[in-house]
Amino acid sequence: MTKKKVKKKMNTPLKNVHVLDFKNRPHTKNKTRTQPPSFNNLALKLEDKINNIEKDLRESMQLLEVDVHKIIKTTKNKSEIKEDIDNLSKQLETRVNQSLTKLINTSKSRYDQDEIKLIKNLSSQLVKILSFDFYKNIFARLQKEDSETEVDEFGMDHRVINKIKPLVNFLYYKYWRVQTTGISNIPNTGRALVVSNHSGTLPYDGSMLAAAIYNEHPIRKDARFLVEDFVFHMPMLGSLMYRIGGVRACPENAERLLSKDHLVIVFPEGVKGIGKYYNQRYKLQRFGRGGFIKLCLQTKSPLIPVGIVGAEEIHPIIYKSNTLAKTIGVPYLPITPTFPLLGLLGIIPFPSRWSIHFGTPIPFDAYADETLGDDLTIHKLSENVRDKIQVILMELLKKRRSVWLG
Amino acid sequence: MSTQNEHTGSIVVIGVRGFRGHNLLKRLERDPKYKRVVAIDHKKPDLTLKKTKYYKLDLTEPLADDSLKEILIKEECDTLVHAAFPITPPHNEALAHEVIAIGTFYILNACAAAGVRKFIMASTTDVYGAFPSNPNYLTEDMPPRANRLSRFLADKIDAEKQALRFQKKYPDRVVSILRVCNVLGPTINSYKTRYLQRSVITTMLGFDPLIQFVHEEDVKNVMQQLVDEDHPGVFNLAGDGVLPLSRVIEICGKVNLRLTQIGFKTMAQLMWLMDLSPAPASHVDFLRYLCVVDNSKIKKQLHYKPKYTTKEALLTFVGADRLRQLNMQQLST
Repeated sequence: MTKKKVKKKMNTPLKNVHVLDFKNRPHTKNKTRTQPPSFNNLALKLEDKINNIEKDLRESMQLLEVDVHKIIKTTKNKSEIKEDIDNLSKQLETRVNQSLTKLINTSKSRYDQDEIKLIKNLSSQLVKILSFDFYKNIFARLQKEDSETEVDEFGMDHRVINKIKPLVNFLYYKYWRVQTTGISNIPNTGRALVVSNHSGTLPYDGSMLAAAIYNEHPIRKDARFLVEDFVFHMPMLGSLMYRIGGVRACPENAERLLSKDHLVIVFPEGVKGIGKYYNQRYKLQRFGRGGFIKLCLQTKSPLIPVGIVGAEEIHPIIYKSNTLAKTIGVPYLPITPTFPLLGLLGIIPFPSRWSIHFGTPIPFDAYADETLGDDLTIHKLSENVRDKIQVILMELLKKRRSVWLG
Repeated sequence: MSTQNEHTGSIVVIGVRGFRGHNLLKRLERDPKYKRVVAIDHKKPDLTLKKTKYYKLDLTEPLADDSLKEILIKEECDTLVHAAFPITPPHNEALAHEVIAIGTFYILNACAAAGVRKFIMASTTDVYGAFPSNPNYLTEDMPPRANRLSRFLADKIDAEKQALRFQKKYPDRVVSILRVCNVLGPTINSYKTRYLQRSVITTMLGFDPLIQFVHEEDVKNVMQQLVDEDHPGVFNLAGDGVLPLSRVIEICGKVNLRLTQIGFKTMAQLMWLMDLSPAPASHVDFLRYLCVVDNSKIKKQLHYKPKYTTKEALLTFVGADRLRQLNMQQLST
């Protein structure tokens, strides 16, 4: 639509606007009749009136917004629209003032002069504020496609996810060419704990696993991954992790996520897993103290063992410096073939070919509640899961012919 | 555990010049349901009191517990609401220690001697402290750890612990502690609202914690409900939903100035000493790490669902603030 057309539309009397018709308001009329005007209940009356005005204004604003939104979608020049909206809000203000003066004229005897002044002042302020809100809403909505601006209860932000999605998809499809199998083992509904091996020096495997579920599974889009503690001590990384769906790894958080029927990705190996030497690759480390088994028993959620092959080769660790790491506040400072040697370029991971396999789910609802206190059984179950993941890894490794070509 | 009170004895509110005490007293004063209401503070409240009796008492005086006991016995105190806490961290920490920790000690002594049946304490969720090792949702049974951060919060934790010890010693009495998160609304004025009212808001580069707000109306309602019904224990009160700090500033329409964390604390302390910043440097961690509480216990036991979400509470505050500013402009022209 051209500028002329927009202007034309703005200058014509607005049909959709809810006109402030104070005469036909039965409740206000009644009130003014029954209550004799006195300064004692001035505040109450004023409040009532302001509420009415605000309600009317909000209604008309909503109606207007629909129209304006349509126009904005079709036009490209935003400064013109800004001007038009400015005119519109001014029109509205004069309109409100007109109707107010009308109202005051019709019932002059009932109102005191001070009261009239107060109402006038307040209403003009209200209009200013409302039109400001109106502006802000429209221009905020122009900048983003979806109206979902709020973060969820763990701080996941769709705006940030949409921003980094192309990068993750590039890594997933082009750079590491991830091959995903067994995606049907993930249930379509309900909670589940996805347990995987951990590797790769930097926790890329968490985001790739989440991307695998997001990209390959037809329904599930709510996978959340638990992230090691130390990430949240660091600037940038900590808040970024929260925005893209990571959650700090602690039993309370995992339990809360599972009780809300989320899909939760866990790496029980923790820092021991991602920070292991290259010669120990694909050897699963100790699985913590079986906290994830307790979690499954508590929430009666199935466990899905997952093996990831390929992530070990992206940053092969030759040596770890612990004393230097302590001063910075990270658990380990790795030395890879490229990292301190090439400076910042060393952070770029190698383009190995990845494959991810989802194993068959292990149900946990058959166990009695007493199992929760039985540490020996829990440890046994945890070792059982570790074996299953190790088997998946071995099978994937057997199939793989080349690290780089798959 | 909840039973309706008949309010045979009187309701005593200590500390009626703060936000919570003032608003609770206002409700008790206006509601004819409450027959006997007593207000105690070292200065007169800004309210016209018709049925409420006012006693002047300074909690920092020696033997304040003895004179308080006499008042409580004379008024046949049934419920005591302890709101004599400064919300804003004071410059004089020694005086704050006298009021918070020692004041609570005196009040509990007087309660024990006078046989007060119910003791309600208004606290804050800041006592949990902001740490990177916090779970995303803090529940009531997690220990408050903010004593590592500041002496002011350590005093508050001390006061809470005294109240819990009192409950252990007298199991037949009711002790409720209400931990309230950041309160926002059209009328409240605290160091947190003053922080959000500045035109340039300083935050830390690379840190964007999730923030929770509760509307002042919800705080008033819960305080009144605790007076009406018996709910022993600790309760967290917070609105549903969270917002990142950057989004909060965006909604307020203010400039977000991100500064590096190196030297931030020193600068903050300097600003605090020069009276330019609303809180001491010990509160800087609340701009860095999580301190978000779980409000499911209050929903379950009090059957109270906060009427405003975090975002709605923030919007009411922003709207009122804008109105105030417009009013100021009009007055000046």
